[in-house]
Amino acid sequence: MDGSASDKMVNGGSCGSCPIVRAAGFVVQRALSHFPHAVRAACLLLLAVAAASIYNAANDLGIPWGPSPGSRVGIPRAFESRLPQINAPQALTLWEAGDAVFVDSRDRKDYERDYIPGATNAPMRKWTEIWPGIESELPRDQLLVLYCYGAHCGLSTRQGKELLRQGYDELVVLDYGWTTWTEHGHPTVQHSEGHPGGGSEH
Amino acid sequence: MRAIWRVMTHPIFLRLTGLVVGGIFVYASWDKITQADRFADIVHDYDMLPLVFINGFALMMPWTELTVGAVLIVGVWRRAAGLLATAMTVSFLIAIAQAEFRGLEIECGCFDVSGMSATEASWDLFLRDIPLLLGSALVWRKG
Repeated sequence: MDGSASDKMVNGGSCGSCPIVRAAGFVVQRALSHFPHAVRAACLLLLAVAAASIYNAANDLGIPWGPSPGSRVGIPRAFESRLPQINAPQALTLWEAGDAVFVDSRDRKDYERDYIPGATNAPMRKWTEIWPGIESELPRDQLLVLYCYGAHCGLSTRQGKELLRQGYDELVVLDYGWTTWTEHGHPTVQHSEGHPGGGSEH
Repeated sequence: MRAIWRVMTHPIFLRLTGLVVGGIFVYASWDKITQADRFADIVHDYDMLPLVFINGFALMMPWTELTVGAVLIVGVWRRAAGLLATAMTVSFLIAIAQAEFRGLEIECGCFDVSGMSATEASWDLFLRDIPLLLGSALVWRKG
């Protein structure tokens, strides 16, 4: 840019955006003189966002900035297609065929009250404690159907992620979990006194 | 009282406070950066943010902690970093307090997010964060 052109830019001559640029410069200058720490803090925030974006894009277990399909959060992009969701009728088909192992991610006290017949309880909130003991009960060569309480319950999805990290490959999550299963009137085992083993099937 | 304030606002004390607060923030950021998906789960558990913001927050927060911590350790833009550290610590205190009031039994997500040595969000933790808030605020106000 030659001298006259730059003069025009500065003086607002033929450059349509110059008033905007000048106004922005004025605002930044005033902000820096009155709130220097706030402006610098904003710069630090921008730097953090840039670093997060770069690292997340390069990371194998990076997550999308928004929710994954099905309004799920915290799912690494690499796991999104490996952790599909199914609905209650699809889950019933699998249950009736007996080809899948159902895994109840809810707390023990809830499993002791009622559960899907044949389901293994693996309380996700106690995962680090129960994992060594539960591993042998979860076959690697069969489809695992994971379920928890219902809408917005992330326990079964979280369990799916942990199982994927442990090398499990065939996993599905029952969308809306126990709520949708019971709303569809599918079979359950219920224990009036909260002790599995002697319950009645409905 | 005036003597204590004079010590607290002494440049060497402020520098040391910046180093300690910065060190805590850097240490706290690491697990969350490397396991953003697990940290997002913990943010979800706090039940404070709409679903649409959870992943973004889980990605941004640890990097802000790291940036703020590094800046405090290096010693440039200390008051700006102190401002952010104060804002973050206030948000931690609000998150823990609301979880306690609502009876949520959740991991705090403070340092460890893998569940291996997780701490539960509790009033003890709330009290533990108070010195961090004071240190951050001191660096912010006095640099």
